[in-house]
Amino acid sequence: MKKSGAAIVIEALCRNGADTVFGYPGGAVLPIYDELYQNTHRINHVLCAHEQNAAHAADGYARVTGKPGVVIATSGPGATNLVTGIANAYLDSVPLVAITGNVAVPLLGRDSFQEVDITGITQEIVKHNFAVSDVKDLNGILDAAFKIASSGRPGPVLVDIPKSIQTDVCEESQYTLQELFFNDLPELDLTETLSLISSAERPLIYSGGGVVSAGASYELLTLAKRISAPVTFSMMGLTALPADEPLNLGMCGMHGTGSSANVFSKCDLVIALGVRFSDRATGNTAKYKEGKKIIHVDIDCAEINKNTSADVELCGNVKTVLQQLLQKLPRTAHPEWEKECAEAKKLDDLPMSDKLVPVTLLRKVASHCSADTVVATDVGQHQMWTMQYFPFRTPRTLLTSGGLGTMGFGLGAAIGGCIANDRKPTVLFTGDGSFGMSLHELATAVSQKLPLVIVIFNNGVLGMVRQWQTMFYQKHYSHTTLNRKTDFVALAKAFGADGRKITCLSELENALQKLPVDTPLVLDCQLDMDEFVLPMIPPGGSVKDLITQRN
Amino acid sequence: MERFIVELVVANHCGVLNRITSLYAKRKYNIDSLTVHETRDPTLSVMRIVSCGDSSIQQQMARQLRKLFDVKTVVLLNNSTL
Repeated sequence: MKKSGAAIVIEALCRNGADTVFGYPGGAVLPIYDELYQNTHRINHVLCAHEQNAAHAADGYARVTGKPGVVIATSGPGATNLVTGIANAYLDSVPLVAITGNVAVPLLGRDSFQEVDITGITQEIVKHNFAVSDVKDLNGILDAAFKIASSGRPGPVLVDIPKSIQTDVCEESQYTLQELFFNDLPELDLTETLSLISSAERPLIYSGGGVVSAGASYELLTLAKRISAPVTFSMMGLTALPADEPLNLGMCGMHGTGSSANVFSKCDLVIALGVRFSDRATGNTAKYKEGKKIIHVDIDCAEINKNTSADVELCGNVKTVLQQLLQKLPRTAHPEWEKECAEAKKLDDLPMSDKLVPVTLLRKVASHCSADTVVATDVGQHQMWTMQYFPFRTPRTLLTSGGLGTMGFGLGAAIGGCIANDRKPTVLFTGDGSFGMSLHELATAVSQKLPLVIVIFNNGVLGMVRQWQTMFYQKHYSHTTLNRKTDFVALAKAFGADGRKITCLSELENALQKLPVDTPLVLDCQLDMDEFVLPMIPPGGSVKDLITQRN
Repeated sequence: MERFIVELVVANHCGVLNRITSLYAKRKYNIDSLTVHETRDPTLSVMRIVSCGDSSIQQQMARQLRKLFDVKTVVLLNNSTL
C-alpha cells in the first residue's frame, strides 16, 4: 500500500512510542497536521502558544519519562523558535526529536517564503540532524532519529521534512535503510580503579545527570555505603539520592552547599560519575585537582579529560560500570572521614524563620508535595534556592535548565512534566524575570487543564544579576530593576488561571491548603530584592574562596 | 604544539564536510590543511585534516569526531604513531 510522507511520520511516531507530541502548526507542516487530525486516537498533540515552549515541554516530558520528547514546528520562524529549546536539550543531554517542515523541494535554496536552512542553523546544538530529500528515506531516518536521541548519551535530533516530501507517496517495499556508524565503547579494565579506591582515605563521589539518566541510583548508594564516601551532586544529578540520605551532601559548585565545598577541599579521591566537570561545578580548574586523584566515569569518552584530567578513565554507561565495579569492590570503612563529613553536613542545616523568605517559602511548598511531585524551575536565584532547600526524593522529578541556563524554560517544562506525570499537581518555581519570558504559555496550561502551582519569587529585580552587580560591579544596577507594574494575579485570571498574592507565610499556607485539580494556580510571592544566594564560590575561584555571609 | 593529522572515513553525502569543519570551529581549533576524496566504495570518503595541538587536544578532537554519526573511523596520526 502506498503511503504519504505525512502518514509515514505518524506511523514512525507511533512505532517509536511517541504517544504525546508538542507543537504548533503552520504552512509547511499542514500535511502532517492533517494526519494528526485523523489520528487523535493514537497521538495526543499538545498545542502550545510558542514553539520555544513546545520544545521545552517536550524536553520536560522527556526528563520525566526518560523517553524522547517530540516537538513539531513549521518552517522558517517555527523552526528558528525551536533553536533555544534544542540547545537547552543538547546541553542537558535530554532525548528530543524535533520535526520541522520546510518549503517544497523545488523551492529550497531560493529564499522562499518561510524558508531557513534549519539543519545548518542547528548543526552545533544537535547530536545529529537530517534534511530529508526523498520520501523513500523518511521512514528509516525517523527510526534513526529516535535511536540516536535515546542511545548512548541522550540528546536532540532534528528532522527537516520539506512539504513536498510530506505529500509524496511511496510503497513500504521502497523504504531505504538509514546507515549510521555507532562507535563501540572500549572494554572496561577496573584494576586501576580498584587500587585507587582501596588506597584512598577520604573518598568523595561527585555524581551527575548521567546517574539519573542511567537509572543508577541504587548502584550509587551501594557504592557510597560500601566505601563510606559522601556524595555531592552537579545540578543535573541532584535527584539521584533522597535529600535525607545521610551521605548526601547536596549540590556542589558555585552555589553548592557549604558541606560539599568543605568536604571537597579535604578529600583525596573524587569518583566522578556521569558528570562533565562544568565550570559552574568546578570553579577554577587549575586549582580544582590539587591533592586529589580523579576517577572519571562517563558514557561520552569525549567528556573525559575535556575540562579536567582524570587519573583513571572509565568510558561506559554509569550503571553498567558500577555494577561491574561493585562485583569486585571490597568493603572499606573510613570512620573518621565519615564523622568529619557528618559534622560538615550539620552546618548546612538552616534555621527556619517565620518570615516569607526563600528558604521558608521553599520548605512550606515542599511540605505540601509528595515524593513523586515534579518540580520545574526557571533560571536565576530562585533556581539556586530550589537546589539548596527543596528536599528532592525521587529521580526524574526535577526539571531545570542546567547547561544552557535558559530563562523561560520553566513553564514549558512544567507543562510537559505534568502531562508526563499523569497530570498530577506539578510545581514551578520561577522568578518575575524568568516568568516574563514565557508567561503566554499559561494559555496552554489552562486549555490543557493542568494543575500547576506556579510560585513566582517576585522581587521586582533580576535577582541573580543584581547580586553580581552588588558583589562585583559596585552596586551599578544596570537594567536589572524591572520596575514593572504587572499584576500577576490579574494576569493569571485573564488567562483563565487562578492567582493569589502572597505577602506572608500564613497567606502561603492558606493558598496551599487546597491544591488545584484542573487549573493552574499562580502564587505571586513578594520577596525582598536584596536576598543573596549563599554560599557562593566567586567566578574563577576555588572551594577555598567560598563566601558564606554578606559582608 | 605538535602538528598532527586526523584521518577519517566518513559517509559520502552532502553536508558531511560541513559537520567536520564546524566541529573544529566550535572547539576553537584551526585547520592547517585538508584533503577529501571518494573511496572505491562510493558511499564513503576519506578525509585527512592537519592541525596543531598538544596530546590532550589531539585526543579531544579524535574523541569529538568519533561522536559524529557520519564518521565511521578516526585514526590519529602524530609523531608517536607515524
